[in-house]
Amino acid sequence: MIPSDHFTKFYNEVFKFLETQGEEDLKSYWLAISKNQEKHTLELFKKKGLQGMYEYWDHIREEENCDLDLKLEDDKLELKMNVCPSLSKVLDNDAEPMKRYCDHCAGWIGPIIDKVGYHMVYDVIDRTKPQCVMRIFKNKEEAKKAEKEAKLLMGWPGKETDTN
Amino acid sequence: MNKESYQKKKLRYHDEGNVHMDFHGATNTTIEFIIKNYGIEIMNDIFSKVGKDVYQDLHLHIKNGDIEVLAEHWKHYFNREGADFDIEIKNDEIILTVHRCTAYEHVKKINGFVSPNFCDQTIKTNEAMAKGTSFEIETEILGEASCRQIIRRRL
Repeated sequence: MIPSDHFTKFYNEVFKFLETQGEEDLKSYWLAISKNQEKHTLELFKKKGLQGMYEYWDHIREEENCDLDLKLEDDKLELKMNVCPSLSKVLDNDAEPMKRYCDHCAGWIGPIIDKVGYHMVYDVIDRTKPQCVMRIFKNKEEAKKAEKEAKLLMGWPGKETDTN
Repeated sequence: MNKESYQKKKLRYHDEGNVHMDFHGATNTTIEFIIKNYGIEIMNDIFSKVGKDVYQDLHLHIKNGDIEVLAEHWKHYFNREGADFDIEIKNDEIILTVHRCTAYEHVKKINGFVSPNFCDQTIKTNEAMAKGTSFEIETEILGEASCRQIIRRRL
């Protein structure tokens, strides 16, 4: 058994292989993971919207030992990851970290947020540091404004590239 | 320093805190994805990299004849996951018997389907950890959610 504690180290090895195959291969994998994650998120997000998203990441905060702040407002959810356990474990590793490890997070979350009709802005800030900010908006224009303030904005499979 | 704290210090990875069992579901999805798109050899190569590179420290201990550190690793992580297991330590041989693998059971519970290759993660990482040492790790599947893993000197 690869312990669940070491899943991210396994994930890192999978990413390194897929990166050698090309960008579409990575995206295709993120979509497979996204599909897998739908069973933990989709109905909750559809039914409760931002409140459901808050509940999901509040549970993740506890179970994955995350140092993160969650702020729920009427039209926005903000997740500020202060110390990401996922990247931290990949960096504390005898195997080499994949340089774009952080990209997977928006890669699986983005397609789900699109499906439920919300608008995500994912700022990784710096791929070498275990911190990021994810904001999910009800309003598309608010999301577009927030994108302009991001330091390292992430994309995901199917993300609209139109910035108008 | 008591024996327990010394043994803990020997482990390169010693995770604490809560356990997120749903990661096993993502492992199951990954196995299915990689085998479907790239074949089983690629999946096994990735598991071998986990055994060789991620568990480089365990590999070095085994190479130096210190196989008890593997028993400590097994104890720590199977305890964290609430598995039913026992470990028998003999001279130059350690036998781990997993009576109830909670990783397998959790995937079955949340997915309803467990990849027929799910246990390859154990078999192949074990083989890679022992590769190039005077020990081998044999993994025998005893039934659903149950296995025996034996590290012993190669004949």
